[in-house]
Amino acid sequence: MITFFQLLISGLSVGFIYGLIAVGFVLIFKSSQIFNFAQGEMVMFGAFLVWSFLNMGIPPVLALIIVVVLVGLAGYGLERFPLRAMIGQPIMATIMITMGIAVFLKGLALLIWSNNIGIQYPAIVTEKTVSIMGIPISNVTMGIFLFGLILVILLSLFFNYSRTGLHMRAAAESHQLAQSMGIKVTQAIAQSWAIAAIVATVGGFLLGYIRGIDIGLIEIGLIAIAAALVGGLESFKGAVLGGLIMGVAQTFTGGYIGYGLKEVVPFLIMVLVLIFKPYGLFGLVKIERV
Amino acid sequence: MRRVSGIFDISYVQDITIFRTKYYAAGMILLILFFLILPVFGANDFWLAFITTTAITVIALQGLNILAGYCGQISVGHTAFMAVGAYTSTILAAQFGLSLWICMPIGGLGAALIGLLFGLPSLRVKGYYLALTTIAAQYLIIYMIKTPFPEVTGGAIALKVPELKLGSFVFQEEIHFYYFVMIMLIIMTFLAKSLMRSHFGRTFVAIRDNDIASEAMGISLYKYKLLAFFIGCFYAGIAGSIWAAYARVISPDDFTLSQSIWYLGMLIIGGVGSTLGPFFGAIFIGVLREICVVAGPVVSSLIPQIGAQISASLVEMTFGIVIILFLVFEPRGISHRWEILKESYRLWPFSY
Repeated sequence: MITFFQLLISGLSVGFIYGLIAVGFVLIFKSSQIFNFAQGEMVMFGAFLVWSFLNMGIPPVLALIIVVVLVGLAGYGLERFPLRAMIGQPIMATIMITMGIAVFLKGLALLIWSNNIGIQYPAIVTEKTVSIMGIPISNVTMGIFLFGLILVILLSLFFNYSRTGLHMRAAAESHQLAQSMGIKVTQAIAQSWAIAAIVATVGGFLLGYIRGIDIGLIEIGLIAIAAALVGGLESFKGAVLGGLIMGVAQTFTGGYIGYGLKEVVPFLIMVLVLIFKPYGLFGLVKIERV
Repeated sequence: MRRVSGIFDISYVQDITIFRTKYYAAGMILLILFFLILPVFGANDFWLAFITTTAITVIALQGLNILAGYCGQISVGHTAFMAVGAYTSTILAAQFGLSLWICMPIGGLGAALIGLLFGLPSLRVKGYYLALTTIAAQYLIIYMIKTPFPEVTGGAIALKVPELKLGSFVFQEEIHFYYFVMIMLIIMTFLAKSLMRSHFGRTFVAIRDNDIASEAMGISLYKYKLLAFFIGCFYAGIAGSIWAAYARVISPDDFTLSQSIWYLGMLIIGGVGSTLGPFFGAIFIGVLREICVVAGPVVSSLIPQIGAQISASLVEMTFGIVIILFLVFEPRGISHRWEILKESYRLWPFSY
């Protein structure tokens, strides 16, 4: 029973990070209807970037702030080129443009960091284990939980109440309609890419802290996309819930069945959800007209 | 599209003909002849291998083109279906002693059937969602090869492929495979072109342009979307089993997600929805990749402090940039440029 709870806890903590990354993904989809296949690469790149700054001897908080500013700017720049050209293009083009960004980022990461194998962040907090109702939980896990929870609540508030957030949602609904109401669609999309890049970097940092930094973080991004899909693409709480489901499913299959299945079980869940409930748990059901 | 002056289509047969004038046919025969006698003029093994691998890629791309380019069902798991074809034909040949010539079509059919399975979600979802399903297909298929039955599939280790024989003649050298693959390429391209000129091709295009409207016009989406998956994955399976016979060893690492993304990229660069597109895309990217592989060591000798995988990273970076540039500046790909070129040649000296 103790292993059950331990698996559950570790699944939830990994799942929460999946959820965070999925939130970044949902963010871009909500504001621009672009499916960002480069999310995994952004996670990986952000994790490496933080490591590089930490490696220069910059204190952790400052390094994180520098990287967040940098990737935020990069995300903003991505809108100008190449994403602005993609407004109104067919789906195949928008899929391939993010895949192009993904391949480029992966190549760049290989170019810069392929000599650094098996790297890890220096310990920022001393890990302690607290026991809650007989189940040991490390303070790192709890910290990630709290951090993620705050981030998700802030993002939800931002999208429901702030002017910029509402602009982004309007832009997602229809570019033309939003423009006719005086909303700068390009700006809304740029802001959402900046936020998504930041969220991806933070997620990459947290994940890298738990499991080390390598190119394999890309796959995590794909799992996060699957999580977003399971939760429904328009919903933040769906994204987090989807992430939790994926994390728990992974640790349970890893713990009880086998390691190989652990890698693919998120995709299995995703295919089943797509067949039986195509718009996910909290997604909006679209009614199409010719 | 502007056509040769003075040639008018007055019947439907004329409209769908492949060779509109006798010069087209003559040009095509000359091109095929050129490639058939190329080895005689001392093209070395490097070039023969390059052409052979490119030709196998083109066969796979023709399938992807039917599926994604004509029918609009984007598949990001194309190499996984190639893997199904490669493994099916290899296992049948190695374990049951069947001739590879029989195993290749069976491999294609196997891939097509698996493709049908992963095409099922296409009836309920489309666009992005479908792309994700095919990514899932990529992971699930490679997992099925790697983990549950290692004694059959060889697991994560490479699997040896039996020799390709014709009577007592054994395909061993580059030049043998070169001719074999070239003939396969001609057959498969002709089939793809013919299919797209037929009723099926026009139905696929209708589904791509608007599936709900085409359903309202009486097209059975159920039938034709699955048919597109069947045909597209059949091509992938054939290409995969040819690749297996050519490479003589296959392992799950030959069929990765990034390879699938490359295929989609080649399709975009070559031109979506045109039979010529796969040729341009595969050749363009193939040449680019060779250049990067050559340039890698040069760059790393100039700047020694960058990473060890310089060639790999250069290849990936240029590929990413090229895809982005094409999508932004020429989304219709090289084949569109080719059309423009032909047009301005016809209008010369008054081209505009």
